[in-house]
Amino acid sequence: MIVGDSMQARSFPIFLMVINLMLVAILSLQFYKTYPKEVELEKFPTWSSMLLFLIFYIMVKVSGDMFVAIPVVMFLMGLTWGQKKVWISFVNAIVTPLSVFLLFDYVLQVRFPRGWLTNIYYG
Amino acid sequence: MIEALSAMGSVFTDPYLLGLIFATTVLGVIIGVLPGLGATTGAALLLPFTLTMEPVQAIAVLSTIYVSATFAGSITAILINTPGTSAAAATTFDGYPLAQKGEAGRALGIAVVSSTVGGVFSVIVLCIAAPLLARVAYEFRPPEYFALTIFGLSMLASISAGGAVKNLIGGIFGVWLSTIGAERVTAIERFMFGNYDLYEGLSFVPVFIGLFAISELLVQSKMVNKIVETVALKAVKLPTKEDYKRIWKTILRSCGIGTFIGVLPAEGATVASMIGYSEAKRWSKNKEEFGKGSVEGIAGAEAANNAATGGAMVPTMVLGIPGSGTTAIILVGLMVHGLRPGAYLFTEQVEKVYQIFGSMLLANLMFMAMGLYAARLFARVSLVPISILWPIVFALSVIGAYALSQSLIDVWIALIFGVIGFFARRHGFAVAPIAVGLILGEMVETNLQHSLKMYDGQWWMIFAQPLAAFFLILAFLGLCGPYLYSLIIRHKD
Repeated sequence: MIVGDSMQARSFPIFLMVINLMLVAILSLQFYKTYPKEVELEKFPTWSSMLLFLIFYIMVKVSGDMFVAIPVVMFLMGLTWGQKKVWISFVNAIVTPLSVFLLFDYVLQVRFPRGWLTNIYYG
Repeated sequence: MIEALSAMGSVFTDPYLLGLIFATTVLGVIIGVLPGLGATTGAALLLPFTLTMEPVQAIAVLSTIYVSATFAGSITAILINTPGTSAAAATTFDGYPLAQKGEAGRALGIAVVSSTVGGVFSVIVLCIAAPLLARVAYEFRPPEYFALTIFGLSMLASISAGGAVKNLIGGIFGVWLSTIGAERVTAIERFMFGNYDLYEGLSFVPVFIGLFAISELLVQSKMVNKIVETVALKAVKLPTKEDYKRIWKTILRSCGIGTFIGVLPAEGATVASMIGYSEAKRWSKNKEEFGKGSVEGIAGAEAANNAATGGAMVPTMVLGIPGSGTTAIILVGLMVHGLRPGAYLFTEQVEKVYQIFGSMLLANLMFMAMGLYAARLFARVSLVPISILWPIVFALSVIGAYALSQSLIDVWIALIFGVIGFFARRHGFAVAPIAVGLILGEMVETNLQHSLKMYDGQWWMIFAQPLAAFFLILAFLGLCGPYLYSLIIRHKD
């Protein structure tokens, strides 16, 4: 592991993994003695939110535009999290990304990846 | 000294900085009262917004969020029995029972005064202790830094959330994450799997946004149907003479405890408030009142958690070792803005350092005013439906993750780490150790390599350096001390 006067670059992460394996072994020993409480199963919004992350990824890949995907995901997230008034979710999904986009564009001068919507804005 | 004081004073006369700190304090208090958001998540979300600011302004924003959100957690802890931040968890023990007795204003008044005294005390300690520690840190060479980072990692074992072993696993996992990418000296690629976007390693900002903000979003999704009961608040009342007589000793004790706990690497406001609370109970003449609305209980927890904020900045700025989850983000902010944490910061950029301290002091005074006069208004913010709030957090997270490097890979990294963080938390692992490990990782590896080079590969020579040996012994005691102690007790019995 220590070659010459230093440590090999590949050895360090392996060393860390070995330590973590040892710690996992200690942890399993602790669990063997006192079994942890059963973990509560997540409800629908948690799993649907993770699914929305996947939808976000696919939409960005297809459209190339974060600002198409963000409002869609925000709108759906609002609904799956129990928002009964659809228009509130809709307004939130339009106003928030738009204001953040304008803030980043004008004040912070951050350019976003070109896509369906941003192409119209950037020209 | 005069130069330092005038730099601190310049904050109070700079209208732009004054306005910025005022606006950030309002934002920090709002973040603090929103259950689930908290100082760490807030700082992670705001970090990308500070990119175009001057270094002092950027760090002032982040540290103001830290200070004001830590205080504001107490507002919801007292009024709705839900701590806005984990640091305010101990405040619920007595704050909510006192509020239920119709004394919400008194409870908030005590929380405001205790938090302010704790915060101001810790900034004063920061101003005195940081330069002194910086002088000591000048003597540090790679072996000492290596030992210090090991000590920092060992302290993860005592973070309150999660168990000792789980926190260590998280910390080591964080260090392992820091090895992803090309190794600095040899450029050997590690765990890149042919993806050259990872050549420079994982960026801290998207990982932190994922671990703190997105994982919290997933955690909060379980609270969709939670019903909140609010206690009515007429006005915040300043403590009476009788109250002051009862709490001044507790506040002073908690100031000391909080600042000390904050200075310890990887410990933070949550641990400080718990210890502050339990010490307040231990020394109190009215132990029976604890849990039923004791003013000492509120003062003990609140003074300690805000005192920890200044304390946690000491190792962060002097040694580059974060004192808590939020200071880990502030540390990243320092690096992003070209302020290299360490002893040289106190000689080369002393003016900026004291301006940052000055802004923390100002933030403490500002949240006091807001706590006294606008707590009622801020408490209403906590009632924003989570179906509106968290989609906004999602948008801010993905845009913020993108903004630093303007790269989509950072957005995917944030989402992936959000899911990793969620599952880690679901199984009882805290995410702060992963963040601290990630930051310390490069320091550990680089200083170990340099130390080995210094001693021609004779690693045991690290133990021959007095200061390094001292830190390693501390690390050993921190890790094994409680087990050894229980073994000795068992043997005696």
